[in-house]
Amino acid sequence: MVKCWDLETNKVIRHYHGHLSGVYALAIHPTLDVLVTSGRDATARVWDMRTKQAVHTLSGHTGTVSAVKCQEADPQVITTSMDSTVRLWDLAAGKTMTRLTHHKKSVRAMALHPTEFTFATASPDNIKQWKCPEGQFMRNFEGPEGVTGGGGIVNAMAVNADNVMFTGADNGAMGFWDWKSGHQFQRLDSLVQPGSLDSEAGIFCAEFDKTGLRLITGEADKTIKIWKEDDQATPETHPLDWKPSLMRKRY
Amino acid sequence: MSSLSGLLPAPVHQNPAQEYDQHQYSNTVTAPIVRIPPYGERTGWKPKKPEDFGDGGAFPEIHTAQYPLDMGRKKKSTSKAGSTIALQVDAQGNVAYDAIAKRGHGSKEIVQAQFKDLVPLHERADIGEISLSRPGEEEVQETADRTRAALEKISKSKITAAQPKSVVSNNKPGAPTYIRYTPANQSASAEGVNQRVIRMVEMPVDPMEPPRHHHRKVPRGPPSPPPPVLHSPPRKVTAKEQADWVIPPCISNWKNAKGYTIPLDKRLAADGRGLQDVQINDNFAKLSEALALASRHAQDEVRQRSLMQQKVAQKEKEAKEQNLRALAQRARDERAGIVSSSSGAGEQESSGRGRQQDSGSESGSDDDSDDDEAKQRAARERDALRKERQQEREKDLRMSRMGAEQKAKVMARAEGRDISEKVALGLAKPTQSKDSMYDARLFGQSSGLNSGFKEDDAYSVYDKPMFTHTGSSLYRPKRGGGEGGEDAGNEDDIARSLESDRFGSAGISGKGFRGAEGGRNMQRDGPVTFEKEADIFGLDDFNKADSKKRTGLDISSTQEAFGRGLGTLNLSLVSRSTHYFKTTLEYSSMASPELTSPLTAN
Repeated sequence: MVKCWDLETNKVIRHYHGHLSGVYALAIHPTLDVLVTSGRDATARVWDMRTKQAVHTLSGHTGTVSAVKCQEADPQVITTSMDSTVRLWDLAAGKTMTRLTHHKKSVRAMALHPTEFTFATASPDNIKQWKCPEGQFMRNFEGPEGVTGGGGIVNAMAVNADNVMFTGADNGAMGFWDWKSGHQFQRLDSLVQPGSLDSEAGIFCAEFDKTGLRLITGEADKTIKIWKEDDQATPETHPLDWKPSLMRKRY
Repeated sequence: MSSLSGLLPAPVHQNPAQEYDQHQYSNTVTAPIVRIPPYGERTGWKPKKPEDFGDGGAFPEIHTAQYPLDMGRKKKSTSKAGSTIALQVDAQGNVAYDAIAKRGHGSKEIVQAQFKDLVPLHERADIGEISLSRPGEEEVQETADRTRAALEKISKSKITAAQPKSVVSNNKPGAPTYIRYTPANQSASAEGVNQRVIRMVEMPVDPMEPPRHHHRKVPRGPPSPPPPVLHSPPRKVTAKEQADWVIPPCISNWKNAKGYTIPLDKRLAADGRGLQDVQINDNFAKLSEALALASRHAQDEVRQRSLMQQKVAQKEKEAKEQNLRALAQRARDERAGIVSSSSGAGEQESSGRGRQQDSGSESGSDDDSDDDEAKQRAARERDALRKERQQEREKDLRMSRMGAEQKAKVMARAEGRDISEKVALGLAKPTQSKDSMYDARLFGQSSGLNSGFKEDDAYSVYDKPMFTHTGSSLYRPKRGGGEGGEDAGNEDDIARSLESDRFGSAGISGKGFRGAEGGRNMQRDGPVTFEKEADIFGLDDFNKADSKKRTGLDISSTQEAFGRGLGTLNLSLVSRSTHYFKTTLEYSSMASPELTSPLTAN
């Protein structure tokens, strides 16, 4: 069940009924009064917020739809799924525009760039950047420690207006990437709060705030952490070692 | 054109192309030219082969099915799956091999089916300018409007479908409604506006009719054809890695939700029993050994102590016996000495006897081992008997010394002993009878095999009913107290007594009998006690009187007695007792004193 809460009274005011099993992700359309939710029943449902009607049921995925994002221009809805595909949808018709099959493993996280017309998706084998509206593959994000920056399973992604991308992994590894070049300039391991086991390090969700100055992460040790840019860091203290890879790329 | 060629001089050489052509194709056999009859001469002619159509299409004046260029035939299989597609070539002359991948999708859909879709955008050769900017305001607005319109259409249709169709009917649901209908298109009717009144009635529904439409489940259609996979196939997993990720099935020691039967070795395996090596500390063995040793030591010591005690006791006993024997001997000697003092000869005899006795005792003491024990046993028994007799004598003395009350107490205690006390004291003896004891209730029963066969539906488990009707046999104490005279001033009592007043004399109970009040609804305050009336009619006296000479006094007395008996009989009849024995009816206070007892005469 998808619930709409009134934050003034802290009460549920609407229910959107239609999903057959767990709802994993949710996105609100920036210009229309439309809500898109996705879940384990391998569909994304488009709801008219006022009438609580399911306007479209975007079916076609064969695995859990792990992330949904809405934007104002076509493709208005982008979904990623655990059947390792990404689908770009035409919202007016309710049909798939493009299917991107570049990923090998389930795609768990997605992020839209706030100013550019691009987005990125992450799976345990790769983090890829794409260009809208056709969904053309732009680049792989490659980190020095491994493909996903030492993370393994990337659960959360968020992009800044300053072209900083953050990926949070299931084992607590946080990677900070440059959007334009695809280079990982920082790798952090989130510390568990005292009292938690070391194995309880993991990031489940992450977002930059509206200004882009603060990163908020929800973690597995029952904490929500807020991160900010280090003021004292200089290129000398934190050198940016970018080495172009000599290996021939295989796609 | 023709004027210009006329102006120019004639060419010197002929066209080399023409020369070539003439050389090349002079030897070839030309195909027979199909002659299509010109228009007007085509009657009876039918185009059969595709060449008959030439460059054109079908002939409309020939009324047969014609398929120029094989177009128009019904059995077209290009749209079905599994059939061949025509090879498509794009403008540059490149063959479009991904037509197969693009089948089944709409034209608007983009299918990435080429290698160049894998190459990063900046390294791609065929893309000119990459602009990463988001679309502008107008485009966004236009998209939003378009989308909103489409979504609203859908949602509106859904809403209207969900809403009930409102036909205004203010009457009862079965009554007809009349609708004035004005047709929308006036073009057909030239007579002007013709309104019609339509009468709409609900069709009667058969309530027992099953649903008319079968809701059939339609299986889902085939999904859209799968997109081309743009990554390398997953790498083969090595055996080691596969072995790393093996997860054994969970066999819980506490839950078995599906109720599987799991063999015991698997259950224990879940416990991890075979993996551990149980190490037992050596100190356990040491402890047990030490305990055993200690217990043995203690037993030995106890045994030795008891032996020592026995020996000491024996020695003491022997010493005592020796003493006693010595005393006895001395006593005998003295006696013998006294006797022998009277007669000197006897002295010697006694001494000889004594010597004999001594020797006898010596000889007795000689063969000690067997006789000594027997003698000791006998001595002990005699001691016990003596003690008992001593106790009895003391008891008798005490009893004789006690007064009467003590005696009574003792007697009461002796008689009023509970069986458990008797058992504890050892006074309870079971009945000694030659044959075994039987419960008398077992005899003479109407059930069991000895009672004979019963009918089929006889229920043989229980022979007696579970509840005997205890309504009448239970004693229920009367609530307010039985005696009427106790709480004389009580309201309830007065009311009760007034109620039960049967002979009309209020305040006086009249001739009612206590215990016979209430008539039919007599409330008993105690169980019914019966007493045999010895002689109601004084017949004994009468008979006795018969033997003697009857005097007038006697007759009168007997008559009196008779009358009295009758009186009592009447009263007993009035009380309507159904008992065979007459109940003792206590006469109330008013009764004449002479009638207090039936036998006053004699």
